[in-house]
Amino acid sequence: MRQGSCSEEGCFTLLKLFEHVLESDPLIDEVGFIHPSQFNMLDEEAGSSSVYQNEHQPNNETSRKFWNQDHKLGISTDILVQLCKDAKHVFLLAFEEYKRHGNACNESQIENFSCSPGTPEIEVMRHSQAVLLLSSDFGTAWNARKLILSKKDQLSAFTEELRLAGLILSNSPKSESTWSHRRWIIKMISQRFSTPQVIITKESELVESIGERSKMNYRAWYHRCWLVSYMAIEQVIQELNKSKRWAGLHVADSSCFHYRRRLMLKILESLYVKGGNAYDKSEARKIWKEELDWNKELVERYVGREALWLHRRFLSLNWIIYFACNDSDVSPEPGESIIMNEEIAIFIDNEIHLLESSMIVPDTKFEDFQAQALHAGVYMLWLTKKMPELWRMVEEKLGTEKVKCVLSTIAQERPSLLHHLVNV
Amino acid sequence: MGQLVADKHVRYILMAEKKKESFESVVMDHLRMNGAYWGLTTLDLLDKLGCVSEDEVVSWLMTCQHESGGFAGNTGHDPHILYTLSAVQILALFDKINILDIGKVSSYVAKLQNEDGSFSGDMWGEIDTRFSYIAICCLSILKCLDKINVEKAVEYIVSCKNLDGGFGCTPGAESHAGQIFCCVGALAITGSLHHVDKDLLGWWLCERQLKGGGLNGRPEKLADVCYSWWVLSSLIMIDRVHWIDKAKLVKFILDCQDLENGGISDRPDDAVDIFHTYFGVAGLSLLEYPGVKVIDPAYALPVDVVNRIIFTK
Repeated sequence: MRQGSCSEEGCFTLLKLFEHVLESDPLIDEVGFIHPSQFNMLDEEAGSSSVYQNEHQPNNETSRKFWNQDHKLGISTDILVQLCKDAKHVFLLAFEEYKRHGNACNESQIENFSCSPGTPEIEVMRHSQAVLLLSSDFGTAWNARKLILSKKDQLSAFTEELRLAGLILSNSPKSESTWSHRRWIIKMISQRFSTPQVIITKESELVESIGERSKMNYRAWYHRCWLVSYMAIEQVIQELNKSKRWAGLHVADSSCFHYRRRLMLKILESLYVKGGNAYDKSEARKIWKEELDWNKELVERYVGREALWLHRRFLSLNWIIYFACNDSDVSPEPGESIIMNEEIAIFIDNEIHLLESSMIVPDTKFEDFQAQALHAGVYMLWLTKKMPELWRMVEEKLGTEKVKCVLSTIAQERPSLLHHLVNV
Repeated sequence: MGQLVADKHVRYILMAEKKKESFESVVMDHLRMNGAYWGLTTLDLLDKLGCVSEDEVVSWLMTCQHESGGFAGNTGHDPHILYTLSAVQILALFDKINILDIGKVSSYVAKLQNEDGSFSGDMWGEIDTRFSYIAICCLSILKCLDKINVEKAVEYIVSCKNLDGGFGCTPGAESHAGQIFCCVGALAITGSLHHVDKDLLGWWLCERQLKGGGLNGRPEKLADVCYSWWVLSSLIMIDRVHWIDKAKLVKFILDCQDLENGGISDRPDDAVDIFHTYFGVAGLSLLEYPGVKVIDPAYALPVDVVNRIIFTK
């Protein structure tokens, strides 16, 4: 060891202590960085002292580095910089060594600073874990683990890795590399073993629990959308039912509604599979109708929510294309023109009612009502763009005065957009 | 309205490279190549690239290249397509593309194309339309687009289009302004913008502007300076930039400056960082703010740099 600004032994004592904490409690399920002043508070909450001390130092305030109880681990923010630098340094050396010697038991370079010296493989796994708990997007550490894991043939090695990735997500819920690593593990499992539905179900639940703490988390919800390709139609329906409650409680989380859209599109796809396995269209129609009704309830209850109105654009347009218009067994072509029929007319009539009631702004002090009027107007205009003859219906039903009102609401917020649309 | 404190931003960028003691900078050092691209491009947009030692940057950059031809985010790390584009862009800024073994770098990128036209980020196989953009942008700068199947690459990107006109990272993934920039940028470079429903996408993009003038990247999110780049560049490429209020956006970006110490943050009064400093200045460039060089919306490089590449054999 040549590098290091402090005495080598001092530096790596911290890393050794960290790795010791991790190894002595393999069931840690949550990790976080905490300010030293929070140690006392955590102790009081837990009712006893369970602080890891530097083993060579007396139990006093300044020596507090780790807090570990009930499988929750807190790392003092005071030591993060040093710990992270050391972990990276030691990991990169171990990985170099591993690549040079493969699995051969050469411990010459790394035995100085490991808890208990092991094979290069063990060292890489140990130090990469430490690095990733501190710096979750450190791609090279994830790659090293992939390299080692790809040589394993027990399922448990992969499920254990899912646990580690879950632990890291508890502190870094948006970490793209960690989510990506999970997908890699699942791909490996499904290639080498099979894709147990239970893993997909658990993944889906994990996203929901992380979504609870980390709002509108694109990476987490993307992961859930990705899982859909591993789902059979029964599971798709199940997921649609299961995610409904959460969505109803998080009406501003557009990503969650996108997940429902992904599931619903999967149902549409399955309507047109060949060979007698097609999903029953009347069932699908029922699901669509239910979602439309439920969305309307939410729109009326939670006034001015953009995510709900965008979801409605999707639902209404597909309802018209797939259910109101098309009764054949062939999937409609994108861009196919929509021919007005009675069912569409009734549907649009209801939508105009919804627009009318959304235009009522009882109190201009509340921005939500103004937002509701804007979203409703833009929603209708958006559908019109897909079906030009719809505008004539809107004008007939609403009358000139109300149409003017809709347009002026939009003109206030999106003048250029409106200018363009009206002039086309 | 405030003004762009260009000199302070220059100083902030030059200082940021020297401050390595915070936890933030330690956890960022695996993507130092991206950081270098953000910082150096900002300096060039402000016409101050001469303040850095070209030799120092280039010699460090070359230590990040692997046998495979790909670049890592920092010395000793694994290569990834993300850092390979940044490395090529940095060399383009310095007019130093010629020091590269172009065959090797372009082969690294081309080998990451999959059967369906998509691109993986590295040998471990994660697929994302960001990687499609990176591959296409990188190979276009290196004039090696013929090494990949462009038609298939375009086909894959188009398969990621959603009903709202936007694009996600893979087929069926939620529209996101960052992904939209990548898809539209890749389509622009390959002359395939006819695949975009410009009115529909323009609609979604202009709905990203919030009351305060700033842009968000997805529905219901807060405004963030970085979307001044992603949303704005996309709107320019599809010729719908007049659908947003540009003056209000300029004000929003200027309000995110740290007037004392330089740097730009995600939204007013937050802490500044190099990432948002770049996107703020690049956004102002797209908004034709005086004193900032013009940036190309597809290549994310100053227009004079892009012209130099295009007009050189």
